[in-house]
Amino acid sequence: MPKITINGQELEFKAGQTVIEVARQNGISVPHFCWHPALSVSGNCRMCLVEIEKMPKLAIACSTLASDGMVVHVDSEKAVSARNAVMEFLLINHPLDCPVCDQAGECKLQDYAYRYSSGESRFEEEKQHNKKRVELGPFVMFDAERCISCSRCIRFCDEIAGDKELTFTKRGDRVTISTYPGEELDNPYSLNTTDICPVGALTSRDFRFKARVWDMSKTNSICTGCARGCNDEIWVKNNIVLRLTPRFNKEVNSYWMCDEGRLNTFKFINNQRVDGPHIRRNGQIVKTGYDEAVAFTVSQLKAYNPGEIAFLGSAFASCEDNYMLAKLAKGTLHVKNIDFARHLIPGSADGILICDDKAPNSLGAELSGVKPAPEGLNFEGILEGINSGKIKVLYCLEDDIAAMSPEYENTLSKLDFLVVHATNHNATTVLADVIFPAAAFAEKNGTMVNFQGRLQRLKPAVATIDMDRSLEGMEMSRLDKFGTDFDKWAKKNRVDARASWKMLQTVGSLMGLKMKHQISEEVFADMASCIEAFHGLDYDVIGESGIKIKVNNTAKATK
Amino acid sequence: MELLIQAGIALAKILIVITVMLLTVSYLVYFERKISAWIQNRRGPNRVGWYGALQPFADVFKLLLKEDIVPSNANKFIHSLAPFITLFVSFATYAVIPFGPDIKLFGRTIQLALADVNIGVLYVLALTSLGVYGLTFAGWSSGSKYSLLGGIRSSAQMISYEVSMGFSIAGVILLSESLRPMAIVESQYGFMWNALIQPIGFITIVVSAFAETNRLPFDLPEAEPELVGGYHTEYSSMKFAGFFLAEYANMIIASAMIVTLYLGGWQFPYIDKFGLSMGLTAGIQVLSFLLKMALVLFFFIWVRWSIPRFRYDQLMNLGWKVMFPLSLLNLIWVAALIMIFNI
Amino acid sequence: MPEKKREKDLTIAEKLYIPEIVKGLGLTLKSMFRPKFTMEYPEVKFIPPASYRGRPVLVQEESGTERCVACGLCSRVCPSLAIEVQASETSLEKERYPVKFEINMLRCIFCGFCEEVCPEEAIVMSKDYELVFRDRSEAIYGKDKLMVPIRQVEDRIEFLRNFK
Ligand code: SF4
Ligand code: SF4
Ligand code: SF4
Ligand code: SF4
Repeated sequence: MPKITINGQELEFKAGQTVIEVARQNGISVPHFCWHPALSVSGNCRMCLVEIEKMPKLAIACSTLASDGMVVHVDSEKAVSARNAVMEFLLINHPLDCPVCDQAGECKLQDYAYRYSSGESRFEEEKQHNKKRVELGPFVMFDAERCISCSRCIRFCDEIAGDKELTFTKRGDRVTISTYPGEELDNPYSLNTTDICPVGALTSRDFRFKARVWDMSKTNSICTGCARGCNDEIWVKNNIVLRLTPRFNKEVNSYWMCDEGRLNTFKFINNQRVDGPHIRRNGQIVKTGYDEAVAFTVSQLKAYNPGEIAFLGSAFASCEDNYMLAKLAKGTLHVKNIDFARHLIPGSADGILICDDKAPNSLGAELSGVKPAPEGLNFEGILEGINSGKIKVLYCLEDDIAAMSPEYENTLSKLDFLVVHATNHNATTVLADVIFPAAAFAEKNGTMVNFQGRLQRLKPAVATIDMDRSLEGMEMSRLDKFGTDFDKWAKKNRVDARASWKMLQTVGSLMGLKMKHQISEEVFADMASCIEAFHGLDYDVIGESGIKIKVNNTAKATK
Repeated sequence: MELLIQAGIALAKILIVITVMLLTVSYLVYFERKISAWIQNRRGPNRVGWYGALQPFADVFKLLLKEDIVPSNANKFIHSLAPFITLFVSFATYAVIPFGPDIKLFGRTIQLALADVNIGVLYVLALTSLGVYGLTFAGWSSGSKYSLLGGIRSSAQMISYEVSMGFSIAGVILLSESLRPMAIVESQYGFMWNALIQPIGFITIVVSAFAETNRLPFDLPEAEPELVGGYHTEYSSMKFAGFFLAEYANMIIASAMIVTLYLGGWQFPYIDKFGLSMGLTAGIQVLSFLLKMALVLFFFIWVRWSIPRFRYDQLMNLGWKVMFPLSLLNLIWVAALIMIFNI
Repeated sequence: MPEKKREKDLTIAEKLYIPEIVKGLGLTLKSMFRPKFTMEYPEVKFIPPASYRGRPVLVQEESGTERCVACGLCSRVCPSLAIEVQASETSLEKERYPVKFEINMLRCIFCGFCEEVCPEEAIVMSKDYELVFRDRSEAIYGKDKLMVPIRQVEDRIEFLRNFK
């Protein structure tokens, strides 16, 4: 193996690697703006200048190939003064905008100005002024004054999104980003540009000005927008989800996520929630207590024989929830009619991230035991059974079946008794006789299996009424840590909901289900012991980036 | 009949003394606050009534309305008993203090003292040492370390200073050849005040009196910065008020004792030579007694707001190594005087 | 233990204590007759100098808008987490403004950090020290109570310019 010396450390590398890659691999940081590990090298910001022995001038680490015997100094006097000069240049026309800039707190320029700049400017002339609010596309806002012309956004559109939309125009200190004539920055991945933009030039119009980054907690989780299950971070302030950002996972989503997942998979958590259990009384849906709702459900379930009952799991619920449903249906009530609805939109996959399967956990639901028992009815069979009057009772987990088609809605209205676990009021809950409030994916621990057969973790980022952030080990923002019961921000915005497996366990325990799990980790341990695909796994083994499991051939994955 | 009248007179005297005592105590608190304010260039209470004159009543109402809290690990009985012991002892002591000469009213001779006991001084000494039980009980029964420390300190302090107090009083008794307060007062005719004859004894008794009443600079049993409130930390409402009253009642007794023993009691120098009527003379004498007491009380308060608290070891050093020898010296001095002048 | 070195040894007179005590008593007696400092509050009000740190207020420009750009720095620096700012977009040149700006006066400790950190001179410490509330929610001052016309805080701003 060839060897290179960086900052006195002798390091091995593979031929073809650049100096910055070798350094990064070994935990040596070389400041940079335009270089991005997933994009091509552009080399225009000059921030990564390093001193290389036997080279006449300083070289940029991002485009210099490492070679055997090379000796590199990242922090030599020359390199430091070069960085200082680059910072001074970049800041010449950069506005004093940090107080109004959304990037503040996660801005490379700001950080580097502290770390590598002398804090002085010799530039006394008027700064270059430029447009400050340019709508580049439906989701992205551009501030031309803050742009440092690193070209990351251009390269992203060209290389990752595969849609040439952006380019530089003009020259010198007037250079700026613009869309091609007649184009908009509207590719399905456009918001990734706001993540990779090292400054506050590109910002998300959705998140703009909503919160400061230092006031939010961020929790590692996964996106539930489709079967890819992109790894992401959930940003929460005052117990409200404000944004999702992608989290690097080489196997799943690299550094990216799509706009659809980023914008539309969390908003339902923040409003129109089912708050507390509801039952139908005299034709009206009314709020009630848990005990009453459970007792009502149990008495109804007992009144019918297993052949008249059907259970529907959900590809939106976690494996734990589905597992508990299957245990209740098959193990306790001996109901054979159990399946879940698929949410496929064939042809919508784009070969980048987006999948045809719009539900995050189809594979997981099936693996957890939600599939018809021999001679049991599958999803279509169950609906037919309802139409024909054979099935009279339906127990439905976290899925809006009625919204899938008017025909289904009509079918469900024929039921004698419909129990629904739901996060929000929707078309199905309108028909329900009992509604159990379900904790959303960001309110509970759990697991999901993506289309690749990768088991990944959900973690609670938002607290429900009976959760305590510190006791649950949830991520906490500054405000969460020091809030008291008297602070509005500490106790407000909480819904009365519970993870579905907990409710199912309660219902089951009154009908002979012998399970007494306190936390979802125990449920998973239970699953690991009796489901082959999960053998030997636990939450720690799954870790932050998930683990590939062996999927047997009956469970088929749809991309 | 005679017995009834005697009893009536005694009752009237008791009532008058008790009322005056309670009023004085509450106004003493008021003056304490006023004087401390003046010393600190403040105004002091001035909101309730004329110049704050009704402040004591406001204070009493406040204390009455407070919740009476007894700590859960306190000895309930003793905890409740302690303030009453303290209060009883201080009021009972007053029985033997003469506040004027005998007067003639409706053809009877009435003594201006509740009881002219012939061992009055001993009685006072005995009762004041009983008072320490109140504080010790309070400290012990509260079930709090601060209270306990306060209680222990108070007993140690009282015992130490009682010695020098006793010896300073012995000097007075040597001179007057009586334990009867009335006789002691009468023996200080003119300017023959004991304070002038035996100044060292006067100093020791004043210092001991400060220590006995737990007043600054010797308020170690309740030293707020160290012990929160000392023995009364765990008291509230009227029980607390009991201790509070007792402290001021003790001050009054201490000053009355000092006046009686060392400052000529109710004597006004040579008043019998002025040729005033009997009634007027008695009136002036009672007034002079009260005035002297007021001055001593003012001194008590004045000292409190001028001198900082002693350290505990300093207090003990002072008691045993300075005050005790000094009071002995005083005794020798008096004995020498008697030998030389043959009085 | 080594002998403790004293500044100066006490003289005999000082060791006797009594003269010193008398001196002290003389001092307190004298001060009893000095003029009083007490300011009788509800009738006479203390008007603080510009250096005084009363409750923090938001500066309201002549145009009626607040100066604040909702940067959230005051909220970040506040050691007692008293400030809550919610930014939003405005068509004004400053781009952002606070839709919600709340200071919990029960939390505020009047340290003035918010004023010191503000990049816009938008939050300053006023001279108002009269803060009375009957319940916790009343103690949360919203923009309506916080905004104060710039005229009223001019001397504080002047003071900050000179001494900050
Ligand atoms: S881009 Fe960074 S440095 Fe520039 S104004 Fe925004 S936060 Fe400040
Ligand atoms: S907008 Fe951002 S990503 Fe694009 S070139 Fe400018 S600084 Fe780079
Ligand atoms: S620091 Fe100033 S500008 Fe920023 S939010 Fe606070 S008051 Fe507004
Ligand atoms: S004065 Fe201090 S405590 Fe009060 S709001 Fe400002 S920063 Fe917070």
